[in-house]
Amino acid sequence: MADVDAARRELEEALGTTEVLSDPLALTLYARDAAMVEGGCALVAFPHTVEDVVACMQVAARHALPVVPRGSGTGLAGGATPIGDALVVVTSKMDRILEVRPEDRLAWVEPGVLNLDLAKAVAPLGFTYAPDPSSQQTCSIGGNVNTNAGGPHCLAYGVTSSHVLAVDVVLPDGTVERFGSEAPEAPGYDLRGILIGSEGTLGIVVGACVRLTPEPPAVRTMLLDFSAVKDCAATVSSIIAGGVVPAAVEMMDHGIIVAAESFAHAGYPTTAAAVLLVEVDGLPEAVEAQSRAVENAARDHGVRTIRVAADDAERALLWKGRKSAFGAVAQIAPHYHLHDCVVPRSKLVDVLAGVYEIAGRHDIIVTNVFHAGDGNLHPLLSFDRRIPGTLERVLSASEQIVRLCVNNGGSLSGEHGIGLEKRDFMPLMFSEVDLGAQACVRAAFDPEGRMNPHKVLPAGARCGDFAMARGTDAAQAAQSIPEGSWI
Amino acid sequence: MDLIHPMDKLEVAEALRQATADRKRLLVMGGRTHVDKGEPCEVDAELWTTQLDGLVAYEPAEMIAVVEAGMRVGELDRILWDGGQEWPCDAPPRATVGGVIAAAATSPRRLRVGPIRDTVIEMEVVTGDGRLVRSGARTVKSVTGYDLHKLMTGSLGTLGVIVQVALKVRPRPRSRRSVRVAGGLEVGRRLLDAVPGPTAVLAMPEVVELRLEGWPEETERQVEATDRVAPVTVVTEEGAFPFERPWEASAVIAEAAVPPSRLAEFLTRPFHDLPGPHLGSWGALLGVGIAWVGLSSSDGDLEALRTRAHALGGIAPVVKGPGGLGNDVPPGLDVHRRLKASFDPAGVLAPGRFWGGI
Repeated sequence: MADVDAARRELEEALGTTEVLSDPLALTLYARDAAMVEGGCALVAFPHTVEDVVACMQVAARHALPVVPRGSGTGLAGGATPIGDALVVVTSKMDRILEVRPEDRLAWVEPGVLNLDLAKAVAPLGFTYAPDPSSQQTCSIGGNVNTNAGGPHCLAYGVTSSHVLAVDVVLPDGTVERFGSEAPEAPGYDLRGILIGSEGTLGIVVGACVRLTPEPPAVRTMLLDFSAVKDCAATVSSIIAGGVVPAAVEMMDHGIIVAAESFAHAGYPTTAAAVLLVEVDGLPEAVEAQSRAVENAARDHGVRTIRVAADDAERALLWKGRKSAFGAVAQIAPHYHLHDCVVPRSKLVDVLAGVYEIAGRHDIIVTNVFHAGDGNLHPLLSFDRRIPGTLERVLSASEQIVRLCVNNGGSLSGEHGIGLEKRDFMPLMFSEVDLGAQACVRAAFDPEGRMNPHKVLPAGARCGDFAMARGTDAAQAAQSIPEGSWI
Repeated sequence: MDLIHPMDKLEVAEALRQATADRKRLLVMGGRTHVDKGEPCEVDAELWTTQLDGLVAYEPAEMIAVVEAGMRVGELDRILWDGGQEWPCDAPPRATVGGVIAAAATSPRRLRVGPIRDTVIEMEVVTGDGRLVRSGARTVKSVTGYDLHKLMTGSLGTLGVIVQVALKVRPRPRSRRSVRVAGGLEVGRRLLDAVPGPTAVLAMPEVVELRLEGWPEETERQVEATDRVAPVTVVTEEGAFPFERPWEASAVIAEAAVPPSRLAEFLTRPFHDLPGPHLGSWGALLGVGIAWVGLSSSDGDLEALRTRAHALGGIAPVVKGPGGLGNDVPPGLDVHRRLKASFDPAGVLAPGRFWGGI
């Protein structure tokens, strides 16, 4: 058993007594992120500097404590939900933008910087930070790096991995390394690329060098209104198949339109079965040409109306409805479970029909608001967990939705990650050998298996040759989740 | 030297199991176009991937092509052309897809199309000990565990043999123009600021070449913007880019990578009190930070070039001729070594070819 008291004293000495919490309230607060899963932890630390993080790692190593990195805690897959005697390292107090360098189109930021704060800080210079998750007001860059976060504008601009040039990382043994470079290539394997999306299982990100994207000279935002979901979904494939890749193609179904409208008052057509929010950008000439192509594709599929935002205010309003949709669904029921999976664009029509069917069979309200251009579905199950039997129905429906997506050539997650929630689904996509190789990557960074244990890989996954050489019994033991950790 | 020509991925796996059992060292070979990149290494056999050249799946509406790794880039270009799309690597037609990825070759259009690593979304690889491993997914977004394909991209065949990949492809722009103006780095810098959304700004000692892509009205406007900075002397539609690569005449080519704003300093200015390298012709991708530099040999000049790159936070590996990668030690050397030990336990894959003696 780890000596938690000794670890706490050492942490207090290194970080100061105010920056280490172990009272029951704090331990409860930090026992979960935004997922439905609840865990538990032994200590919570709030580093301010890289040295503080190094101290956290060293103390944890000395006392064999598992370490769970946490940003803003907005993760939806339980990636920051601690289990057992963990030390939760919260990076939100490392929140400085260290340097903005327009001539290199990059900025150095600490992990606790919020996504939207970064975008706002570089806007006066004519730049933006392209990945824009819906939680961008509260999610941090460190968390974005760890989940390889997406967002509506990743359709044209790519996900976080394409926008992070380098990461500074404290490894489990307390060493600090920089993976990647301000230069376009760096010596060695692309450990930057491996770190991004690793859900806090390889080390703690203490700095990121992000790529800045010039603001496009012109933008046009359109709302397309359909009387059938299948026409709306088919329009998405038609747009892309026509060789046009808009900046964003977001889809909202009837339930979401109604909820978002009563919240945002964006003038959404509440009689529509589904709408597409499409944004095109570039030179004015390109915006014109792309708009024409989008409108033609929509007309081919029986669009009812096409509303074009007349100015920035209207554009902001159209987006406000979309980005606040997850808050707005609180009107439907007190709890929700937000899914994240990806399917080939051409399967959108079929898979959406399947999602409605599964929800209907489980007597659960489902609404859909998602990155249609990427094929990235976000079925949202609304329910009241206080009603007995509800949670079981939600979990059963969730599992069937995941299987439906994977069976249609899809992926378990597009941007939220695997965390705890989906780790046992990993064998749906990967063989034992595949998962063993992934376990090898993890073991190469974290031979003792203390970084965010239980996450991402299912309990059986282990690194064959490497495990024999290094003896990862501890890592293996750590993979079995204690009874009662789940909701 | 033994030559091994496996016909499919199972034969690749068998060959590697055998090589591991026999401690037989292998160099993975595709189109032989990027073979000079890497430190010199001694091997007992070459494993050629060129028989693995099949198209596995291609659906233009998905903007994803799945191919075996030995497919030639020229063949893939033809397939994608029919779908109105491209995989923008701009490697020689005889290069293989797997080779381009293993070498992480840089496209001259990288400013717009990004690094090759961003286009690889799923991969099948055979590890040094013959395990067939898949990572990623055939969807444009996927966060599902560890992206082994990131690790393999640029690994120079030292962790495994890439046997199949799913590539994110892009619509072929409706208008593609290559433009030439007189000038050098300074004119290029002004063009990078003045021309909206160029696909490439390639500065050479006496000229600057731009690649402009998009809708016809769009490239028209970009040409006008170029002409306002410096008179356009040549415009071609559909032409190759760049028009020529003069540095390719040199015996040795280094592909330097420095922060983009340091390119001018790297290529022209007197630099501290270090001896300046005698550069042959060069071409620099402005806004990207890549410079191809021709040298007459890999002796003193390469050394001076690398010292200079290192001081600016960059590297200068050789991509043609002798000279290797350089002495920079990769960060996280222990992690690198453990990865190598896991994926190639007997050390049969091009031992010593990679950075850090790996």
